[in-house]
Amino acid sequence: MAAKNKNNLKENMENIFYPESVAVVGANKVPGTVPHDIIHNILKADFQGIVYPVSPREKFIAGAKAYKYIIDIEDPIDLAIIVFPSSVCDLALEQCGKKGVKSVIIISAGFKEIGGKGVEREQELLEIADKYDMNFIGPNCLGVINTDPHKNLNASFARQMPEEGNIGFLSQSGALCTAVLDYAQAKHIGFSKFISFGNKADINEIDLLNYLKDDPKTDVILLYLEEISDGRALMETARNIIIETGKPILALKAGRTTEGASAAASHTGSLAGSDEITTGALKQAGIIRCDNIEEMFNKAIAMAYQPMPKSNRVAIITNAGGPGVLTTDAAIKEGLELANFSDQTTSVLKKSLPRTANIKNPVDVIGDARAERYKVALSQALKDVNVDGAFVILTPQSMTDIEDTAQEIARVAEQYDKPLYVSFMGEAEVAEGVDILQRNKIPHYQLPESMCRAFATAYNYTTHKQKEMDRSELYEDVDTDKAKKILEQAKSEGRKILTEFEADKVLETYRLPLPKRGLATTQEEAVEIAKDIGYPVALKIQSKDITHKFDIKGVKLDIKSAKGVKKDYKEIMDNVKSSKPDASISGILVEAMIPEGQEVILGIKQDSYFGPSIMYGMGGIFVETFKDVSFRVAPLDRETAEDMIEETASSPLLHGARGVSERDIYALQNALIRLSQLAVDCPEIKELDINPLIVLEKGQGCFVADASISL
Amino acid sequence: MDKKELKQKVKEVIAHVLEIEIEEISDDANFIFDLGADSAQSLELVAGFEEEFDIEMDEDRALEVQNVSDAVDFISEYTK
Repeated sequence: MAAKNKNNLKENMENIFYPESVAVVGANKVPGTVPHDIIHNILKADFQGIVYPVSPREKFIAGAKAYKYIIDIEDPIDLAIIVFPSSVCDLALEQCGKKGVKSVIIISAGFKEIGGKGVEREQELLEIADKYDMNFIGPNCLGVINTDPHKNLNASFARQMPEEGNIGFLSQSGALCTAVLDYAQAKHIGFSKFISFGNKADINEIDLLNYLKDDPKTDVILLYLEEISDGRALMETARNIIIETGKPILALKAGRTTEGASAAASHTGSLAGSDEITTGALKQAGIIRCDNIEEMFNKAIAMAYQPMPKSNRVAIITNAGGPGVLTTDAAIKEGLELANFSDQTTSVLKKSLPRTANIKNPVDVIGDARAERYKVALSQALKDVNVDGAFVILTPQSMTDIEDTAQEIARVAEQYDKPLYVSFMGEAEVAEGVDILQRNKIPHYQLPESMCRAFATAYNYTTHKQKEMDRSELYEDVDTDKAKKILEQAKSEGRKILTEFEADKVLETYRLPLPKRGLATTQEEAVEIAKDIGYPVALKIQSKDITHKFDIKGVKLDIKSAKGVKKDYKEIMDNVKSSKPDASISGILVEAMIPEGQEVILGIKQDSYFGPSIMYGMGGIFVETFKDVSFRVAPLDRETAEDMIEETASSPLLHGARGVSERDIYALQNALIRLSQLAVDCPEIKELDINPLIVLEKGQGCFVADASISL
Repeated sequence: MDKKELKQKVKEVIAHVLEIEIEEISDDANFIFDLGADSAQSLELVAGFEEEFDIEMDEDRALEVQNVSDAVDFISEYTK
């Protein structure tokens, strides 16, 4: 299988976006076809370079001389765009290679996406690219757009060239690109680079993210994905971009599915569909995951147009009481604070606004407010050192001068290095005012709730600084060889599920906290072990043929004496013999009873995109009902373990609630970190559940009460 | 019909459908890449061969045929 050419990838990608010369291979003169529209889009966008049509039959296309073959062109070609049908793209690419072209966009469809022959064709393209040190975007894509006025390249069959901007957009779906372009055009949202990468046979989202990382024209990156090429590489790349450049990455990942969950056997499996792990992984990498296009752009324009918030203290300026209250509610819900104005601000507002106005935050400039009143209130609020951002609300009342107010807001925004977002509520009446705001790059939101959410996203992005994973927090006192031996033993016996005793042994090799215990094969042995451990104890049947011990009455809890141990030992054996007469019994586990504590669940799952992943959540019988769980990709450092715990709705229970004392969160973090190391070191563990892990009071640690491992 | 004759007739069909001179058509010329056939013309070529040789070809397989030599071999299967 051909590998991606990485020798000159960076240079080749630069030539895709900044070519001096472009050849359109397979061009024609038939309006309404991709080969025709691509060449016309390039010319229409005022491309700063030379365009060479390559067509087997035409002599001239769009006024330019056409060449039968790309090798007939005497001048060097920086970028070739192949628009031939898929059956001959290999011939076209081969000729590009012979011509010395290193950068190619293959627009044509009919490859991996159709299966069968298409898969073979795509592989052939990779082999040719490898042979000639070429790199290509596509196949099966819309093409790329570079709005940099020094280049003006529209190498796509989109209907229009977007406005110039500082947002880089990457999309696996070409059709979505056209919808996004239309959406963006209506809102005057500009792009630095607009890239449809289709089947990503060669250049993929990781390469393109790296390109946009170094692109000085791009400040915010948007990514639409249907499937992830390499989850871990995506995480590492995103993390590097955020750490090194601070450029926010917002992603829309389609394909939320529950198929994987329904097929899974364990709690972790049923709670961990691939999408939940993807959500956790993207968060871990610092990528802001969005649910839809609107949300993605709402957040993107906030970060692309305005300074990032320095704090969550905001001022609200409104001409309507109700919307002011709605905005206040939304702001508080999103974790923002209403700023307390300084005395000076209050004094100026008191002098400048009518007596009926509310001069406290939220400031109500009242219904008859015209542009000047908005200007005074907004300027004064933004001047205030206690204010780090402002929301302007406007409802269209008969005396409201909507367009003038929009102009005034744009002028004020320029004067302050603080984020200013606006919601002109309504639709028809405010349309022109909204247009003015959008043209002036003032983030506008139809609803105050979206506005507050966008602000909170920007604020959280600045406060939650992405860091390299701290590997120093990983433990060295683990025994991977011993763990693997236990797993191999079960595997060699053709078993996919380990006994509890075996599972405990595996956990022990990674020093996960287990209660004292021993395996007894006689009543007398059980009594001896119980004596060593100390009462009370629990007895649990151990058999590779029994998965659900409770169901066959193979478990006895809270036994307080030797007599009780003898009696319960016999009862368990009798129960097992009657319900599972053929089961092979390895003995009965005598285990110290764990004191009462908070029950939580920990788990491992191997994810197809991200590999070994960790689940955490509140344990107990309602775990699958409430699904109060979080996921991250292994290994974890302490901060990530902390994030996982705090992300769950039930985390306050661990901090002490309603008379219950604080739990040993540090010990819980340790358990998560150790488990994450086991997940990475032993990928043969397909799923693992610790349910429950009992977290005791602070300083008392935590204990694994029950564990299961499947291979 | 021998192969030489068959090849000549194949070229005649191609020249007619693609509106090009028969001399421009080499044996290994690719219908799309070298001769510029578009998708509609590819279908017309299949129909032209069927009519010329009075045969009915498997369309999916026929569309995989990309040059004169392959077309001659493929059509021979039907004219045996």
